[in-house]
Order: sequence, then structure tokens, then C-alpha cells
Amino acid sequence: MGRSFNTIAFDPSKCDGCGDCMRACASVKYDSEDTSRSLIQILGRETDKGSAFELALCRQCGDPKCTTVCPAGALTKNGESGVIEWDGSKCVDCLLCTIGCSYAGIALDETTGRVSKCDTCAGNPACVPACPHGALRYVTTSNIYNEVGDWEDLFAPGLAGCQGCNTELLMRHTLRRVGPDTVLATPPGCVPGMGSVGFNGTTGTKVPVFHPLLTNTAAMLAGIKRQYKRVGREITALAIAGDGGASDVGFQSLSGAAERGEQMLFMVVDNEGYMNTGMQRSSCTPYGAWTSTTPVGKSSDGSHLSQGKTQDAKNLPLIMVNHRCAYVATASTAYMEDLYEKLDKAIQASKTGFAYLHVYSPCTTGWRFPTDQNMEVARKAVETNFVMLWEYTPDTGVHFTRPVDKPLPVTDYLKAMGRFRHLSPEQIEHIQKKVEENRRIVERLAENAHAA
Amino acid sequence: MTRHHRYPAFDLVKAEVPDDLCPVATDMSPMLPGDWRSMRPVVDRDKCVKCAVCWLYCPVQCVQEHAAWFDFNLATCKGCGICANECPQRAITMVEEAK
Repeated sequence: MGRSFNTIAFDPSKCDGCGDCMRACASVKYDSEDTSRSLIQILGRETDKGSAFELALCRQCGDPKCTTVCPAGALTKNGESGVIEWDGSKCVDCLLCTIGCSYAGIALDETTGRVSKCDTCAGNPACVPACPHGALRYVTTSNIYNEVGDWEDLFAPGLAGCQGCNTELLMRHTLRRVGPDTVLATPPGCVPGMGSVGFNGTTGTKVPVFHPLLTNTAAMLAGIKRQYKRVGREITALAIAGDGGASDVGFQSLSGAAERGEQMLFMVVDNEGYMNTGMQRSSCTPYGAWTSTTPVGKSSDGSHLSQGKTQDAKNLPLIMVNHRCAYVATASTAYMEDLYEKLDKAIQASKTGFAYLHVYSPCTTGWRFPTDQNMEVARKAVETNFVMLWEYTPDTGVHFTRPVDKPLPVTDYLKAMGRFRHLSPEQIEHIQKKVEENRRIVERLAENAHAA
Repeated sequence: MTRHHRYPAFDLVKAEVPDDLCPVATDMSPMLPGDWRSMRPVVDRDKCVKCAVCWLYCPVQCVQEHAAWFDFNLATCKGCGICANECPQRAITMVEEAK
């Protein structure tokens, strides 16, 4: 396998051209206040039609043109870090590279009379934290690829998940990480529904997989794990269940297995409803949401107006904390590094006790949003505190792993999808209140954990 | 922990699985959902910086690494467009599949 590299990402919609990034760069690189020497340049201006800013910065291209036009071999791409390095002792100051680059990423520094370019500050770029608007991001997800990118995907190449299915993404990452010595249980829902269990003599999974009833997933998996222990084989017992199969009808077996401390990793894919069977409500469906059993509109005789679900969602992960499991965490696929850390801890905890992972999984079909917006919706859920990312162990108690101290208004999340389109101002107010209440409950738990 | 290899397929005979046990599926599902696609992701190789964000968020995990860029296995790509939306360098565009 080759390698992937970290990159500095720029979001022009968040940039107001303040120039803090340029000042940070000039100060770190040259101890100078002259922003024209900065290796990152923000170009553009505020106009009547709005602002239009562009970035002039070395992209550290995968297939760089500057290195091929350089006649002196002074520019080389570092195969380890991905940074394009400039060797001043070889450079003949011909400036061909500045013409070869499409991004104005390498330019003449008039103070020294030589070219200068970004070296990402050896993996800790000064410009990124200097941006007060979050327009610059240092994307480090390549770390995950460099570690697991060539591990085998343990699902079949073709699964019948909807286009842009978050659950399929989660399953593939999870099983690859958990590994081949795994027995997988998937109760009725989208996970087996998309073909991971298979039919007619074919399977969608490269590890032993079985299809329990909605009610007995945890109980059946516990028995299988115990049998493997009896014959002396070390396996990970993994369940990937939907929120319906875990919080409603499957709850008693889940609760029982957690209480007994069965050694398994129970992952709940929370798409907030029975999406596989046609988007019916579950106890994890949030207040106000449209589902096929909490419809929106007038009844046929016009006597009754329905405005989506009238009850609040059950907070299943907090209920699991009250089982004092070996590990409980909530996660989101939009925060993949956080998810991977929690997955590793959960795998470890499942060797000695019950590990529970609750992953929020936006459903493009059931929540009514375009397929390409899936990560956007998942990210908004966290940024508005609609979903909070925390973990629990008996030793450390509850603590936030990605706290959001300045949450966006919950409307930013609600308007991203169609299932909340009908909400009245009162309903939105109710949801905002619930978000804040849920936040206070988890905060209280986290504070008490520190006090103890 | 290194697992940079493929795992051997499960062999019913070697594992001494009795043939009267219950139906056991051993063949991989042959379905390839690439023909669902109405939009196809196209990578601008000059813009790709190999950050692997497309790979990270691809639900089908159909992203394949090439020497200087990432590309897609169009046999399984469903054309959801998440990669084009998430690419930090906007190197991916979704184009309509020709008839």
C-alpha cells in the first residue's frame, strides 16, 4: 500500500479575510509582522454581493507539477509526510516552479530573493489554530487510512444498503477493526436487510454471522461466546443491532446480558426508527419527527391534526451506563477518529465484560435528506448538542470526548432534513429545551465522576 | 497489530462441518451495486492530495489508492456523492452517467 497524507482544508464560506492566519505564519516562520512574507495568502475582498476569498497555499499535491518543472531537482515530495520539500542549496532561482503551480503555492519571497513554500510546520501548522472562524482545518484522517487502509473489508463488496447509507459505512469500518476472529450477530433490521447475513447459500460477511430474533440477540450471542470459551477459542462476540432491536423489543435480553457482564461488544446503530421495514417510530425516535407511524397532517375526517412523534426519545446509552457496563460510549461517524478510539477501547473491554457502543447513524431514506449530505447531518447533530459524544468506564465515570461548548441552535440540525420540515415554533422550542436538558444531565454525571 | 493481508476463505471440509447440520452459506454474495448509480464520481487528479477523506466516508468502501491519487471502484460505487461533498480540496465532482 502507498500512503495518504494530512492536508490543510479551507472553507471560503467561513473566511472573512481577517488575515490572522497570515500574521501567524509570518510570525512563526520569519518572526516578522510582514504578512506578504506569509506562506499562506488569503486573496479576495468583501463586495456588495458578499465576500469571495481564495487560498494561495501549497496543497502538497499528490502529483505535484512544481517538482516536475524544476530543472535543478530542488523540489521533492517526501513519501513519508507528503510535504513537498525545497532544497535551497540546489535551487537555481529560475522561478519555473512558481509558474508550474496552479495554486500559487510557491512564490518569490522578495526579502530573500528566493522562493518560499509551506512545509505544514512539520505537521503542526500555525495558521490553523490562528483562524478565529474555523475556516482552516488540519485534516488528519489519513492516520486512520495509513493504519487500516489495507486491512481486509470483512463484508462482501456489494451490500444492498441505500445510497449513502451511514450504517453500511459504520459496519465496514467496525468489522474491519474488530477483525476476522469474530462472531457477528445481527437482529432484524437494516444490517442483515442489506445482505450481510445473505440468502440462498450466499453470505455477505467473511466471518461467521447469524441472524437472531429481535428479542434475543444479546442472549443468543452470550451463549455462543460461552460455548467458544468452553472449547478454548478466543473470539470477539460482536452484535450490530438497530435502535429498534436494542431499545424496544430486544431490550430485556440486552439488559440481562449487560447485568450479567457477558463478554461481548454490543453496537447499536441508532437511525432513530425502524428504517428497514418502512420507517416506523421506535422509542429512540426524537420528538416531533415524522415517521410512517407518526404521520404529519389531518386525519381523513379532518378531526385530528398530527404533527409527528409526540413523545421524547429514550436515552438508551444513559440507561446502559446505569448497568455499570465495562464500557459505554456514544459515537458518530462524522467524528471518525473519536469513533476509532472508542472502538478500540470497546474491543478491549469486551474481552472482560460488556461493552456497549451507541452510534448515531443518519438515515438518508428515513430522515429525508439528499444522500451526499449524510456526514453533514451527522456533524450538525453533534455541533448542536442534539447528539453528545461521551464515554463511560466504571473507573473514570462519564466524560465528554468531544465537548461542544458553543453549540449551534438546534434549528441548524432540524432544517437539514425533511422529517422535521413541519415543525411549529413551539415544537422547535420543545426540542431546544430537551437538548439543553439532556446536556445538563450528562454534565451532571460528568461532574460527579470527577468529584468522586 | 498488523493485518496487512487477506484472510483465507472458510473451508467446510477442512473445518469438518457435518453436511447435515443446517444450511451454511459459504459463497460470497455476488451482488455488485455499481449499476444503481445515476451519478458518477470523477477525480481531478491534479487536485487530489491523497488525504483519504473520501475513503474514510465512503459507505461502500470502494475507494482505491493509486500512486498519486485516489479513485473509485465503479463496480460497487452507488454514486451517493458523499465523497464529493466531503473532499477538503474539492477534487471530486459528480457527473451524470451517460445513457
